[in-house]
Amino acid sequence: MTAAIDIQHLHKSFGRVRALDGLDLRVDAGTVHGFLGPNGAGKSTTIRILLGLLRADAGQVRLLGGDPWADAVALHRRLAYVPGDVELWPNLTGGEAIDLFARLRGGTDPVRRDELCQRFDLDPSKKGRTYSKGNRQKVALIAALASDVELLLLDEPTAGLDPLMEAVFQECIREVKDAGRTVLLSSHILAQVEVLADQISIIRQGRIVETGSLTELRHLTRTSVEAVTDRPADGLANLAGVHGLRTDGDQVRFEVDGDQLAVVVRELGDLGVQGLTVRPPTLEQLLLRHYGDRLVRNGTAEVA
Amino acid sequence: MATTTLDRAAPAGTGTGTAVNGTGNLLRFMLRRDRIRLPAWTLGLPLLMTYFAAALDTIAQTPEDLAGLTVFTSSPAGALFGGPGFGFDDLTIERFLAGQYGLYILLGAGLMGLLTVVRHTRTEERTGRAELVRANVVGRHAQLTAALTLTTVMAALVALLIGAMMTSRGFDAGGSMVFGASVGAVALTFAGIAAVTVQLSEYPRAASGMAGAALGAAFVLRGLGDMAAVQGNGPSWLSWLSPIGWSQQTAAYVHDRWWPLAVSLAFAAATAATGYLLSARRDFGAGLVPPRPGSPRAASWLAGPFAFAFRLHRASLIGWSAALLVAGVAYGSFTQPLLDGFENAPEDLVEVMGGGSGDLLAGYLGMMGLTMALVVGVYAVIAVQSLRAEETEGRAEPVLATSVSRTGWLGSHIAVVALGVPWLLLVAGVGMGIGAAASTGDPGLLGDLLVGHLAHTPAVWLVLSAAALLYAAAPRTLPVIWVLLGYGLIAGYFAPILELPEGVLRLSPFEHVGEYPLEEVSVVAVGVLTVLAGALAQAAVAVFRRRDLAGGA
Repeated sequence: MTAAIDIQHLHKSFGRVRALDGLDLRVDAGTVHGFLGPNGAGKSTTIRILLGLLRADAGQVRLLGGDPWADAVALHRRLAYVPGDVELWPNLTGGEAIDLFARLRGGTDPVRRDELCQRFDLDPSKKGRTYSKGNRQKVALIAALASDVELLLLDEPTAGLDPLMEAVFQECIREVKDAGRTVLLSSHILAQVEVLADQISIIRQGRIVETGSLTELRHLTRTSVEAVTDRPADGLANLAGVHGLRTDGDQVRFEVDGDQLAVVVRELGDLGVQGLTVRPPTLEQLLLRHYGDRLVRNGTAEVA
Repeated sequence: MATTTLDRAAPAGTGTGTAVNGTGNLLRFMLRRDRIRLPAWTLGLPLLMTYFAAALDTIAQTPEDLAGLTVFTSSPAGALFGGPGFGFDDLTIERFLAGQYGLYILLGAGLMGLLTVVRHTRTEERTGRAELVRANVVGRHAQLTAALTLTTVMAALVALLIGAMMTSRGFDAGGSMVFGASVGAVALTFAGIAAVTVQLSEYPRAASGMAGAALGAAFVLRGLGDMAAVQGNGPSWLSWLSPIGWSQQTAAYVHDRWWPLAVSLAFAAATAATGYLLSARRDFGAGLVPPRPGSPRAASWLAGPFAFAFRLHRASLIGWSAALLVAGVAYGSFTQPLLDGFENAPEDLVEVMGGGSGDLLAGYLGMMGLTMALVVGVYAVIAVQSLRAEETEGRAEPVLATSVSRTGWLGSHIAVVALGVPWLLLVAGVGMGIGAAASTGDPGLLGDLLVGHLAHTPAVWLVLSAAALLYAAAPRTLPVIWVLLGYGLIAGYFAPILELPEGVLRLSPFEHVGEYPLEEVSVVAVGVLTVLAGALAQAAVAVFRRRDLAGGA
């Protein structure tokens, strides 16, 4: 598979602040790639380097086979971008802004534009300054989704959208994927990435700390198990890979490492299991695994 | 002073006591937010007056010097740019200060009043911060009341400081206080006007724009009235329609009249009351003039970076065109009264006005060409500043993420502004030409004025491309460009007084082309300035490709 985005050892500093510190990222063509990380981890900086708005200090960046700084204009014809915080021109209507973006990019499908306006429930005749944050976001999303491009760069694209619109957005991204296009979806809405992404990269402090498919990443973390058993299940605590076991009458709760799950389930069967709930790790847990250490050290229980 | 205004005005709204709940806290909060702005205004205006006083001391060291100045100031042109000139037949330093330079302090005070009110009312509502405030135990009228109180405090401070400063220079204390109070009164009247305009539009810029237009109208009205007064015939009552006029009619150091300020206070009270009344008739965050829906589709011509740059600059170009046309006609129509006023003027004064060749008309028209060129220079700089706002506020980023190159983006904007420059000079020249031709009955002046205005195009281009280069290389340094324009102003107006050497004078881009029709247009200068401007613009576009773009978020 060819890579739509291939970044190696990317460094970028702003003054003394190191925003990217040896970032590696590969996004295969035709996939939806989730780009996860807390605020300030370097997601937007990476995307803005991919757009040629910022110049890399060091490292290799290839975008659709080109150099994002030198070939910016040619590459921009083949991609569309949605920033996380969309600002519009106060005296242009939303419809004018959508048309303008499309024309500056080099053409759009007017039927698809109107259809998207309807699906996202956007009134394109309102002036930019009268739109709420969510509506400004819709303007940028419609402009991007209506364009016939190979790659979508979406930087937290649904911040400010209500759940209904979020569902419309997910539907649209699936259509984009079915059409064989590539999507880089930066987000900290984990449920969204979980549903949409084929591959996920987790960025922290300017580096990718984890990358792979959701299934691959699940091996790296623990599954939560709740069970009701006939016989006391305290003995499970001695099995390899079982953590934090607590019993409450005939109920038992614990977490188990992904690769030890089969052994534990067999054991539960022997104990006469009556009820069983097994939850795969959520992305919150994946993230907590990487940022949790810091939270614990700081003695706070806050979860981003 | 304006506290009475507020007490009277509050019942005009829907509530009484509770409607102003929280005013005290808001006022303290505003003082905290304005800890730089408030001293800047209230010290800045007295300091500017001090500067005028010190400058006049050096210019007019003997009574003869002073008498020489009066010949201009008691002419119609002097009245237009100064005031009715009370007591100028028996001139003293303080009468000249209050009667001639005072006008510019009055204008500054008006700006202070209207900007402070807009900043603390409509701007707060527009940004949504007022919503947070109003959700607390804060009355409907508290924000406006606190803003007006703050402005009143500032006006009182300015009045006292100017009065004290003038007294301390040895001028009559009574006259100094009258003059100080007349400055404060203008701040109050325009605070009142702003209290109305902030109710009309949702947008702070529109609100301050409307109040600013009122300030401009007040300036012109009293200018026409004062000219008529100096000439002894014509509609001198026009001065009495202007809040600036009321302050000038106090005739500080001559009659020391307090009663015209009663008109100012009544006007401030009435406008503030109107503001309260209107604010009760509108929804929070909305204006009385509702926004209209626009086109759901972009016009077919709106494609490509140049068309888009034009679209963004269009509104400002229309506004500037209208303002320059009006200003041109107004100043043009002063031509004949000015000539009449100078008919019997001594030779040396004519020389000061640039009519060294004895051709006063050509001197005045050439001077106006330079003035308009400086004004269009301000337009060019503001246009480049709007580019910086496009970048820092995150609107340039999605455009540059399309197939618009950086060269195309910056180049298009520079090109639109560069075309706007001769257009605006043309409009100003047409306005001046129509005014001057109508006033003198000589239609030939139109052609002279068109040439005289358009000839300055390359000089303004140079300012534009220098501003663009600063922006492209290091956006933070952009304000430095005002030095160039400011120097152009000083070199153009005060060169004879300051006795600047020729070499220093020619550092100003506006001193090369020549003030047609007084001087011939230098074709060489036009060519050189154009080439230089082009080179700087090229450099700007080249440099802009090399730097990181500022983030929006």
